[in-house]
Amino acid sequence: MQEDFHYYATYCAAILAGYSHEESMDISYSSQFVDRCSKTLLLRINAPLNAATTQLQLEMMDARTDIVGLQDITRIWASFHFLPKDLYAVKQGHPKIYMNKYRLICGPDSDLVKSTVENAKGKTLQAAGIAMHVLADTWAHSNFAGTPSLVINNTTDDFAEIVSKDGTESERKIKFRHSPGTPDDIENNIYTNSLYQGSENAIMNLGHGRAGHLPDYSFVKFKYLPAWNEYRYLIKDNPSDYMKAFGQMIYAMKYLRGEEAEFETGRYADDVIAPYKERIDAIIRKRQLIASDDWRDFGGELSGTAPEEFDETRYQGEYCSTSDKEATFLGHFINAAIMHKGMVCDHIYNSGNPLAGFVWKRIVKKI
Amino acid sequence: MTKIQRLKEIFTGLLMLLGALIILTEPSDGYLFIIFVLSVILTVMGIRKLFHYFTMARFMVDGKTSLYKGVMMLDFGILTGTLTDVPRFYVLIYLICIHAFAGIIDILRAREAKAYGIGLWKYKTVQGVIQLLIAAVCIINVNNPRIAVFFFGTGLIYSALLRIVYAFRRTGFVYIQ
Repeated sequence: MQEDFHYYATYCAAILAGYSHEESMDISYSSQFVDRCSKTLLLRINAPLNAATTQLQLEMMDARTDIVGLQDITRIWASFHFLPKDLYAVKQGHPKIYMNKYRLICGPDSDLVKSTVENAKGKTLQAAGIAMHVLADTWAHSNFAGTPSLVINNTTDDFAEIVSKDGTESERKIKFRHSPGTPDDIENNIYTNSLYQGSENAIMNLGHGRAGHLPDYSFVKFKYLPAWNEYRYLIKDNPSDYMKAFGQMIYAMKYLRGEEAEFETGRYADDVIAPYKERIDAIIRKRQLIASDDWRDFGGELSGTAPEEFDETRYQGEYCSTSDKEATFLGHFINAAIMHKGMVCDHIYNSGNPLAGFVWKRIVKKI
Repeated sequence: MTKIQRLKEIFTGLLMLLGALIILTEPSDGYLFIIFVLSVILTVMGIRKLFHYFTMARFMVDGKTSLYKGVMMLDFGILTGTLTDVPRFYVLIYLICIHAFAGIIDILRAREAKAYGIGLWKYKTVQGVIQLLIAAVCIINVNNPRIAVFFFGTGLIYSALLRIVYAFRRTGFVYIQ
């Protein structure tokens, strides 16, 4: 997902869940900041590096892929962008070394999503924002894993868009090129993806790189052949998934606000969405590289105040200039990020999977 | 990094330093040593690839590619170990590619760090320039195989020292609340 969903759509969901404009801004800012909080940024503001929630492209190219480096990468990507669906998945006849990777495949409505949302209850708005980012990405990034893995994340080049016209579906071939600087050509179905890399732990084999940005575009429904699915094609229906992601965010934030007694997976606040369903569906299905303008307009209509543009540096001055860093906006974000990362990595480690390393438990100051 | 991993890094670094000293003090045997190292690397890579196939890649779409690669690498590794007269030019090309690639990555990383306004960029720039200089010297002296021995030794010392420094570096932990 991109800024359109993590920032503007999250703002809309927060408003629909009952938060004020200011609270919704804080939640959506924190949600989008997950895609910006790299070690490089944390170094610049002299903040703890273990709060990193993403990695810049060159940080990844520079990363070691020995076990320590892999654990560092997995902690970040599995915790914040590819939350595992089933840490105890079973596949007969597959050795543990394979299953350790297989069990990190991301998917929605998992026990870990439930823990993620429940963990944010009673915490800061920043914690809520981080949880919304993680939740939304379980829909967009499903069927890929947040660890470098050829056997899981590789795909063939055989991608096709499924186009619906007059009630019938047809397939339209998707082509790939390896040109990161060139924007995707959605009219001619030409997209950029990462190069094939035959090494199991190569950084190119992290997440959905081999499928390019297709999982990040809400309008596209496509089919492809993933490496792990026993030669069976998968259909990724982004419009449907994005609608569920939006509904689940509203339901989750209602729970965080105390309007719902518990958070259950498989519930999507359909009643809240119903009056706006056509409008939301139109935004999601509109063929465009980024839907920020449409979501921003919708957010403005919902709250009466258009959400401000995202500014990565907005809270950095406050953080750098005070001695009581934990009380700042970014201080809250950093604490929430470390707490979430610790929770996910602890679950992974306790499932017998060493790929995210172990978690050193200690009580940190409550915020 | 755990204590065992730190010890492993230090031990590997010391072994590399020892190897580099042998190469630099006995340049006449140095070339054979490089061939030996290349042979061992290719053989180990081949065995690893085969291990990867039998434990993981056989379950994936097009996984047989890993099997073919493993067999070929193992074959090349064994073949290289039996040769004593490989054109030395190829050893230099190998060194040039390794150092030039590492140098470019370091400099790109330095540019990114500079754009973000952090001090790391100077260290990365120096690292990148050193790598590119080594590559340039190899290109200039492409007809002099003794250069390969010298720079392979120097590169080994450089990598060994980096490993040892890395082993002593502080690494982050994740805390849980």
